[in-house]
Amino acid sequence: MTSTVWLAGESALLPSRIQMAFTLASHVLLVPLGVALPTLTLLMEGIGIARNDPVALKIARRWSVVMAVQFAVGAVTGTILSFEFGILWPRMMGRFGAAIGLGFAIEGLAFFLEAIFIGIYLYGWERLPRRTHFLLGLVLPPAGLLGAFGVLSANSFMNTPGGVTLQAGRLVDVDVVAALFTRALGYEFWHFLIAIYMTAGFAVASVYAVAWLRGRRDHYQKLAFLVPFTVAAALTPVQLVVGDLSARALVGDQPAKFAAIELTWRTREQNPEVIGGLIDDAGDVRFGIAVPVLDSILVGYSPNAVVRGLTDFAANARPSTVEANIAHLAFDAMVGLGLAGAALAAWYFWVLLRRRRLPDSVWFYRLAALAGAGCYLAVEAGWVTTEVGRQPWIVYGLMRVSDAVTSAPASFVWTMLATLVAVYALIAYFFVTLLLRLAARWRREDEKSPTAPEEGAPYGPRPARFPELGS
Amino acid sequence: MNLIAFSLLLSVTAYSTAGGVDFGAGIWDLLAGTSARGREARALIDHAMAPVWEVNNVWLAFAIVLCWTGFPIFFQSTFLSLYPLFSLALIGLILRGAFFAFRHVADDPRSHRIADLVFGASSLLTPFFFAASLGAIASGRVGIAGPSQSVLAASFSPMSISFGLVSLAATAFSGASFLVGDARRYGAAELVGYFRRRAVAAALVLIVIGSMALLTIALQAAPLFRSMLAGPGLPFVLVTMILTPVVAVLHWRGIFRWYRVLTVAAVGSMVMAWGFAQSPYLLPGQLTIEQASAPPATQALLLIVAAALLLVIVPAMALLYYLDQRSALDVPEA
Repeated sequence: MTSTVWLAGESALLPSRIQMAFTLASHVLLVPLGVALPTLTLLMEGIGIARNDPVALKIARRWSVVMAVQFAVGAVTGTILSFEFGILWPRMMGRFGAAIGLGFAIEGLAFFLEAIFIGIYLYGWERLPRRTHFLLGLVLPPAGLLGAFGVLSANSFMNTPGGVTLQAGRLVDVDVVAALFTRALGYEFWHFLIAIYMTAGFAVASVYAVAWLRGRRDHYQKLAFLVPFTVAAALTPVQLVVGDLSARALVGDQPAKFAAIELTWRTREQNPEVIGGLIDDAGDVRFGIAVPVLDSILVGYSPNAVVRGLTDFAANARPSTVEANIAHLAFDAMVGLGLAGAALAAWYFWVLLRRRRLPDSVWFYRLAALAGAGCYLAVEAGWVTTEVGRQPWIVYGLMRVSDAVTSAPASFVWTMLATLVAVYALIAYFFVTLLLRLAARWRREDEKSPTAPEEGAPYGPRPARFPELGS
Repeated sequence: MNLIAFSLLLSVTAYSTAGGVDFGAGIWDLLAGTSARGREARALIDHAMAPVWEVNNVWLAFAIVLCWTGFPIFFQSTFLSLYPLFSLALIGLILRGAFFAFRHVADDPRSHRIADLVFGASSLLTPFFFAASLGAIASGRVGIAGPSQSVLAASFSPMSISFGLVSLAATAFSGASFLVGDARRYGAAELVGYFRRRAVAAALVLIVIGSMALLTIALQAAPLFRSMLAGPGLPFVLVTMILTPVVAVLHWRGIFRWYRVLTVAAVGSMVMAWGFAQSPYLLPGQLTIEQASAPPATQALLLIVAAALLLVIVPAMALLYYLDQRSALDVPEA
């Protein structure tokens, strides 16, 4: 990106990229709880039914309220994204819509299922027989999975396009299966799916880690911490393996992205693994720690394995140094956070398996309280890595971001961006206020009577008559 | 019209009718004022919308996905020409969603009032600008791969504005009509009368604005006008012209039978009338459905998705509506 674009305001490329990054980064924050919280909620409800435990049912019911509020906000931010494909990147959809759209069509179906069954699940508490309620809820996890599949299939197509026949730049034929299941999907799907389940688990557990630190140590706190934390902790080692496979697959699938992530300037043997640091336009890396030959070993299991560098690609077909630095630091942040999560999970299982109880160290709960936020950061960093690392391409090797962008004037997109930032700030404020208020109310209720059933939560079952008309 | 185009038209129609009822409720919320009766009306609106409005919104997402997957060139052309309209509709959509939720959070009267106001006002933006985009397409000012004139001229024309106004009147009409049913369900006798009067008034406004829109179409898009009155659009035009007054009479006389189904039929037929009259063109005179269609394999997958929608989603949606209605009926008398 040159500074002239910014100043002259002729092309909408820069504001469009910022707007897309901003709205996507916001939406991604809602995805983990949106897709994975239903599973945790059902797990808790299942425990409640199987053990006839009213506390577990109460936890499940409270989680389902959070799930619904999340879903409502996510539905709005997701709809915005779909319009942005038209408003910001009309030419990408014009050329590749028939292929990229396939995943979104499947996602649309899943979105419908989720919206309907979240409605049924929420309003069915205490109204439907317990078992029926639970069974109807079972639609939600596979629907979330299907939705994630659709979106990741579309994103994978952008990373490793396949299944399309182009003639003079026009898409003339689509192999549906090949376009849906492109190479990147194999790792992107599992990597992201595990990431959101980990995030949901750690994020939910972190709330109850804070409760533990504040002195609440009852059955409610223990159960609500144990279930999500165990799920997340069990997935952490799996994620290390899947993440490693994903990075390795980039070597063949998107070598320029891999070079950016590793800050490799020239193709060479015995390539060091650079941790942290920034590369400049001459290819010199500053401030980083270079571990000799580690990158070559990681890529090819040999110190002499050849690793391709950024200069192997034409300057207009690889990330700029600024973009490479962003992708590199994001990647390092993601890996670092993942390793930290794995250490915490190891601590947890060590105590759980050796001593047959939950950890009781203050430091464990302090770290557990941070794990949720850490996961969200890692998810964001992962998306930054894959999206910025793909630059300058919107569809890798086939279409540049600058060829896909709208012809709207930059001032229009800047204005829209400013509006969206303002509205998103408001939404975030309402959202957080609502959740904090719910939490405070639940705490008050529990202090009064720990086993009383729920009443009148927003998005929860409605009171018999609406209050203003009540006698 | 092929099956994909028909599915797209159906999605747009479903959004206009189901989503339209919600937007209409928002309009009445805006007009309810601060009197005691107005507050009751607002409480009813809140209550009626809460369980279903997110599901209704999915039709919009589905329409847009069908559009870019099934007719990529059409999608590109429309957005290159009409991005101002879509952006305004979108801003309305988020504000409305956000402030509807905020109404449940706000506890001091002032922020509650602001939330009500923004929620109501944004319920005007979205139906107006989405419908305006259909009017802009019908006007022929959207060219392939870009506007045939300036973006502003393509977006804001007599056609787009009259489509937008019809949409506002139609959503207000269907909103009031359905709120009569909700008021009956909750046994709020005064509100039944309140919304009956509003349904009749909105029907009259709709008839006037609809006639003016027809006139605008006659002047601005003669071929579309011809196929609306002497072509495939005719049956739908007739249905609308007959059913809108019929629903008004039902409300006037207080006959609580069929009025909701007939409301949906009246409003849905307006969208259908436009769609069928414009067929086989997506962009009048420039781009046909066939020319814009994605390769056959993509269309086949879209048909599978549409079939799944019909077989799985529609019954599931029926279950949701059924449970929603039943739970309201289950309520013991206070």
